Amino acid sequence: MSEPVLKVTDLTTCYGSISALKSINFYALDKEIVGIVGPNGAGKSTLLESIAGSLQPVEGVIELLGHRIEHFSVLKRRQLGLMLIPQEANIFSMMSVKKNLEVSVILSDREKREELISYAYELFPILYERRKQIANTLSGGQQRMLAVGIGIASNARVMLIDEPSIGLAPKLVTKFFETLKKIRDDTKKTIVLSEQNIKVLNIADRLFGLEAGEIRFDERKENLSRDVVKDLYLGSIS
Amino acid sequence: MGGILSLPVLGVAVIYGITGIPNFAIGVIGVFGGFVTWYFLSYNMGLAIAIGVVVCFIIGWIVQRVLLTPISEMGGDATLFFIITIAVGFVFEGLLRAIFPRPNISLELPRIGTISFAGFSVEGFKIIALLFAIGTLIIIRLMEEHTEMGKSWQATSQNLKLAKLIGIKTTQVFSIASGLGCALACIGAIFWGSLYNLQLSSGWDLGFLGFIVAVVGGIGNIWGGLISALIMGMVMSFSGYLLGGEWQSVILYCIVILVLIIAPKGILGSERSL
Repeated sequence: MSEPVLKVTDLTTCYGSISALKSINFYALDKEIVGIVGPNGAGKSTLLESIAGSLQPVEGVIELLGHRIEHFSVLKRRQLGLMLIPQEANIFSMMSVKKNLEVSVILSDREKREELISYAYELFPILYERRKQIANTLSGGQQRMLAVGIGIASNARVMLIDEPSIGLAPKLVTKFFETLKKIRDDTKKTIVLSEQNIKVLNIADRLFGLEAGEIRFDERKENLSRDVVKDLYLGSIS
Repeated sequence: MGGILSLPVLGVAVIYGITGIPNFAIGVIGVFGGFVTWYFLSYNMGLAIAIGVVVCFIIGWIVQRVLLTPISEMGGDATLFFIITIAVGFVFEGLLRAIFPRPNISLELPRIGTISFAGFSVEGFKIIALLFAIGTLIIIRLMEEHTEMGKSWQATSQNLKLAKLIGIKTTQVFSIASGLGCALACIGAIFWGSLYNLQLSSGWDLGFLGFIVAVVGGIGNIWGGLISALIMGMVMSFSGYLLGGEWQSVILYCIVILVLIIAPKGILGSERSL
């Protein structure tokens, strides 16, 4: 097994006196799509925000490409190759689509910038059509595409995406997940996404089940029965 | 009057628009720069103005970098910023008293004369101040369209968290915004000091007036701020002319209260963006 690009050891994050994550161990391998699944309030967003640095964990170690980053600022983590697309407020809503993408390539080499933006347009042609439109006039689905486009433009080695499918029509969800898979195949990046939608099983290589701030399972997709996942959401009968 | 007010108003709008932090010390810092300019004025006018403006930029930068940004990272709220920036203002007013022994100064800049228009005459300086403010605004807008720095400002003002996540150096953006705002206030103070005079405490007038005018225009909304500066300036001039100077502030603040009751978000609505 190759070394993980992202590794979290004994991570505990609290909101006041309530611990939202209890000594979590988590990792993601190179070029892997990892799904973090679990019901509302399981701590999925908290885990991603703690990794990205928007939240400060109380305890634990976070390693990215061999660097210990738990005391690094958001910016420093970003410079090392990590990017989080948050669940909400994940676009610059008063800027045009084009400018949203242009500002997101800020850390990339100048020669690569055009290429990254073109790739985002290639994946989501509707964004190219609407490039001059102000972002908050896009539909919900298009805004989600733009958020992922921002992630692509940022060219991060490890992309964390918080609940990309939430609020999307079922038909769109399948297509959206396929696009995420294509991004991984094309760019060889690592994608970690938190999801409530069970369709994530179709694209993830590995799944972490999270419930009440604790890991319930960590399995490669092929070893995972649907019942285990179902239990996670519905509560186990036993 | 509105022309000169437009500069501190622009300063307030730039700082609040980008950082989301109201800095009530801006006027005092601007007046501090005005005194610095006055001190060097006998050597060379251009150089003196440049020194004053640069000093204000640096002060604005440092205050933001060592004080306001860290407090904002820790989750400071509006009340805390109100008290802290007022305290910063008193520190600089105290420094003024300590460094400059004179309680009031007048900046002797070459007069440009007055411009007459439709029966009114306007001091040339006021027109220049207004043009300067509009020019600055246009430059900011052009930078937002065409430069990386401008786009970073805009992104930071719209969505701080996402700006950080995509890798914008938001701390630096905040510092530049604060420096720029204080530099604009300084230019406002220089104009003010050459038309009227600058007292040690003038900064509070300039700063609070700038704030109130900005709020009436829609705080953070730069065009609203400029329109409001012009209207408020005219209100002050006319009420002073018709009723006498002592009535100026009565009329002005009654109108401010009225406007804010009718439109709590200001004339053009407030927006946390440039």
